[in-house]
This record gives sequence, structure tokens and C-alpha cells, in this order.
Amino acid sequence: MIRARPVARLAELRLLVWVAAFSVAGYVAVVAAASGRFAWYEVAVPLAVLAIFGALHLFLVSVGFQGDQLLMPLALGLTSIGFILVERLAPTLLLQQLSWLVIAAGAFCGTILIPRDLSVLARFKYTWAFLGMLLLVSPLLPVIGREINGARIWVGLPGIAQFEPWELVKVALVIFFAAYLDEYREVLSTPPRRFGPIPVPPIPYLLPIVAMWLVAMLVMVFEKDLGATLLFFGIFLAMLYLATGEPFYVLIGLVMLAGGGFIAYHAFNHVAARIDVWLAPFDSDLRFDQAYQLTQGLFSLANAGILGAGLGNGMPERIPVVWSDFVFAAFTEEVGFVGALALLAFYLVFVYRGMLIALRAPTTLLQLVAAGLSFIIAFQTLVIVAGNSKLIPLTGITLPFVAYGGSSLVTNFVLCALLLRVSDITARVRR
Amino acid sequence: MEITFAALLWGVRIAFVILLYLFLIRAFGALHRTLSEERIVATARQLGIAALVVVRSHAGGPRVGERLPLRAVSSVGRDAGNDVVLNDEAASAKHAVVSFVDGEWWLEDAGSTNGTLLNGSRIQDKERLHYGDEVAVGRIALRLERAQ
Repeated sequence: MIRARPVARLAELRLLVWVAAFSVAGYVAVVAAASGRFAWYEVAVPLAVLAIFGALHLFLVSVGFQGDQLLMPLALGLTSIGFILVERLAPTLLLQQLSWLVIAAGAFCGTILIPRDLSVLARFKYTWAFLGMLLLVSPLLPVIGREINGARIWVGLPGIAQFEPWELVKVALVIFFAAYLDEYREVLSTPPRRFGPIPVPPIPYLLPIVAMWLVAMLVMVFEKDLGATLLFFGIFLAMLYLATGEPFYVLIGLVMLAGGGFIAYHAFNHVAARIDVWLAPFDSDLRFDQAYQLTQGLFSLANAGILGAGLGNGMPERIPVVWSDFVFAAFTEEVGFVGALALLAFYLVFVYRGMLIALRAPTTLLQLVAAGLSFIIAFQTLVIVAGNSKLIPLTGITLPFVAYGGSSLVTNFVLCALLLRVSDITARVRR
Repeated sequence: MEITFAALLWGVRIAFVILLYLFLIRAFGALHRTLSEERIVATARQLGIAALVVVRSHAGGPRVGERLPLRAVSSVGRDAGNDVVLNDEAASAKHAVVSFVDGEWWLEDAGSTNGTLLNGSRIQDKERLHYGDEVAVGRIALRLERAQ
């Protein structure tokens, strides 16, 4: 329960001052490099962003929030880097992203105000699962469903706004899985019957594994989104492992995924194309065609070096759709290895902190929720950074908080707020 | 000597990266501080925040003197999915809930058939629970005690 007695959040405030400092420096560098001069009014946009950050901090102070003080500065720091990159790569989209930030901030505050111990989330778990499924298939519906860049994962009204429902499904899924696995805790505490070294999964586990696999394959086939498939299944396997501690279930899942992927590679062109591009992007047939985005991204990374080309001084705009899929390559080109390392350290600390919150949480449900949410951030970062650098096939997953996009910004703010709520409950219980 | 625009721009660019790292150093510092606090808390946590001690039982039920550790929100009942499982046919599958909110313990009946007794009297709604209070569920009586 949140009591309206203000509390000081000095550690958070001090970190936010540093966020403000590097936000202004980065933004000014980008604008000055583009326009060739310094002007005072250029700080207006970063100040608007920082004003929203400040408002969020004051909101937490005023409701007497006792949760973690490190998570929000990290998330807002990444968001701020995102704004610097939008200004650098797609200045025309800046105003749109700014309005999405306002919506995201609203969603953040709404999540913070969810009453009491979040058990309301567990009580309606099948509602969440149903809503999640509805959101997941909504892009397949006529009229509102839309196909962009070969993936049918958008809903929207033409000319007004469009949203990737998949982004929000992730959070709904984590809550559902956490509640589901928490409910079957007693099955979990008894060791599974073993067939030699192979544990035979009890029916409550086997059923959702098969169901999840089917849905994941459905997404891959009909929505043509490899990233969503990977993330969807990854979340499920990670949470199953967290709840049971049984690596064998993960193994079954991976084998099923590999099998499904193998069939999909031979049966569907859009899957085969991704793999071929990944295997041989410099192939003469692909270099200037399907693999153009990836190869341009690789040139960007190669141009980076230790210190980078300098903010506003590189050529990341040569990568198609750089502001959503290739922000990591663009950022790296301009700030170099040093900057990329700092960016990854942001995620490292965020995920580490999220897992700590999970460890400290008072109930199994909250532990699973916090761990699952942290896993989303870790997994997305891994998949997109590895995709940008051709370690794994490229998928349309966004770099959390940084990549341009309204749906992912709103979702990530909700995710961060949920993690903060878990840490707030922990702090109140322990006091 | 005149400071050129290009030099100034590079200054701002380098300042950006340095500020990123200064932020990270402080973030790591904050992380380290809570981790060292964590070690102290961890030992206290292994003991649980409190426990229900069995004071009266019957042949098939828990043994008298047994400590049943409590979570922040613990369900009490006959069903194996509860945090505190009481093997007693007079207890409902989900009988009662004991919760710790803002430093206070609360007892709530979860719609049980035979009711929950606090210090001998049947509770109606949510009741405040103090250390040393006796809670009776079915034929089993439990006493709230601090963690050891």
C-alpha cells in the first residue's frame, strides 16, 4: 500500500543529475555537429526530456515510494541516449518520440499506483493470458492489422498512430507465467519421476510447453516475426527454468525450437532469407539487396574504432531504418568501443539490479515476475546487439529504452515500474 | 589563441563519454553499497521474518512445538499449495491468510467453513495480530512468534 507521505530519494536524485549532464552534452554535440554552430536554444529539447524525468522523480517522492533508487536513473539514462540518437538519425521523428515519452511516463505512474501487493495481477492471470493472446493475434485481423517491412506485427489506424501489440504482450506473458508457475508450486516441490536420467515433466508443465511452442510457431509463420518468436519462447523457457531449476525442460524446449526452426527454414521464404543473409551477407546476390542493411551496419561498426568517429561525425544514416533496428551500430560508430562498452554496462547494471530485486522479493510470485522482467531486458539487448554484429541472424527486436518506437518505450517504462513496485513491496515488508 | 568551433565540439563529445562513465561509476558504487548491506540482511533472512509455532495439535497434524515459517503473505489451510499446510479435516482447503503490511501482522479468514479463532474468539473481518497471539484453525492452535 502506498501512503502519501513524501520521502527523500537522494541517491536517485544524485544519479539523475549525472543523467542530465550527459544528456545535455550529447544532445548539444549532435546538434552542433549538424548545424555547424552552438546556439543556446538547442538545449530546449533535452531540457524538456529532463523535465519529464524530474517530474517522474518528484512523483515517486510525493507518493512516498520506497523502492529501488538505481533502476530509474539507469532506465532514464538509456532513454536519454535514445533521444540523442533520434535527434542524430531521424530528427523529424523527435516530436513524435517526445509525445510517446509523455504517454510512457503516464503509464509508468499508473503502474506505480497499482494497489497493494500486486496480487491483483495474479488473481486475473487467465484474463492476462487471454488479453495477451488477443493482442498477439490482433495484427492478423483485417482493417486494423498492418504489415510493415515484411512483418505483420502492427495494429493502427492509417495516418493516426500505430502500435506494436507484441511489445505489451511480453509483460502480460511474464505476469501470467509467474502466476501459473506459482500456482503449481506443490508440483514443483516434488521431484519429477525420472526415466533414467530424463525427468518426466508432470502434465501441468508439459501442457503449457506444447501450447507455447504452438503459439510461437504460429507467430513465426503468420506474423513473419522471427524476433518475437525467439523472445516469446525465451521468456517461457527462462521462467520455467527459474521456477523448477530443471535444465532438462529448457533442453526439450530448445530442441523443439530448433526442430521448428529447421522446418520453417525449408518451408517459409522469409525465415530462409534471414538465415541466408546472416550466413553470407557479402554474397554478390545479397550484398546490395536483402543484406544491404546488415552489411551497412557492419561497415558502421568497422568505422568505429576505440574512440569512434565523434557524435554527429559518422555516417550511420547510410544504414536503412537505422533509428529502429541499428541504433547500436549507429551509437558505436560515433562513440566507438568506449561508448558501446558504457552502453552495455548500463544494461548490465540494470539487469543485475533487477535480478537482485527478484532475489530479495518476499513471495515466489513477485520473485518470478521480477526475474522474468529483468530477463526480457537482458535477452532483448543480447539478441539485437548480437544481430547488429552478425553473431546471430538479425531479428526485429528493439534495443530496450534506446531504439526509436512508441510501443517499446511505453512497454519498457511499464516494465521498469513493475520492477520498482516489487522492490517497494520488499522494502515495506523488511522494515 | 582562439578556440575553434571544431575543438569545442570535440570537447563536448569527449565530455559526453566521460560523463557517461562518471554516471556508471556512481551507479556501480550504489550497487556495491547495497550488496554489502545485503550480506548482513541475508543472514537475518534465512531465519524468516516470523513463524507460527504449533501449541496444540492432534495425531495426524503437525507436531507440537514445530515452527512454521511465515512469508510476507502466507496462506494457511489444508491444501498442499498453502504456505502453511495444516493436515486437519476441520480446516478448509484455503482457510486463512496471515500478512505483514507496513510493520504490522494481520489475520484474515479466507471464507473457511469452520472459522478462524484469534485468542479464543472467532474473527469476523481482518484482525490485527500481535506476537504471542494464539490462532486456532480446526483442531490446531498456533502462536505467532518472532524469528529466532
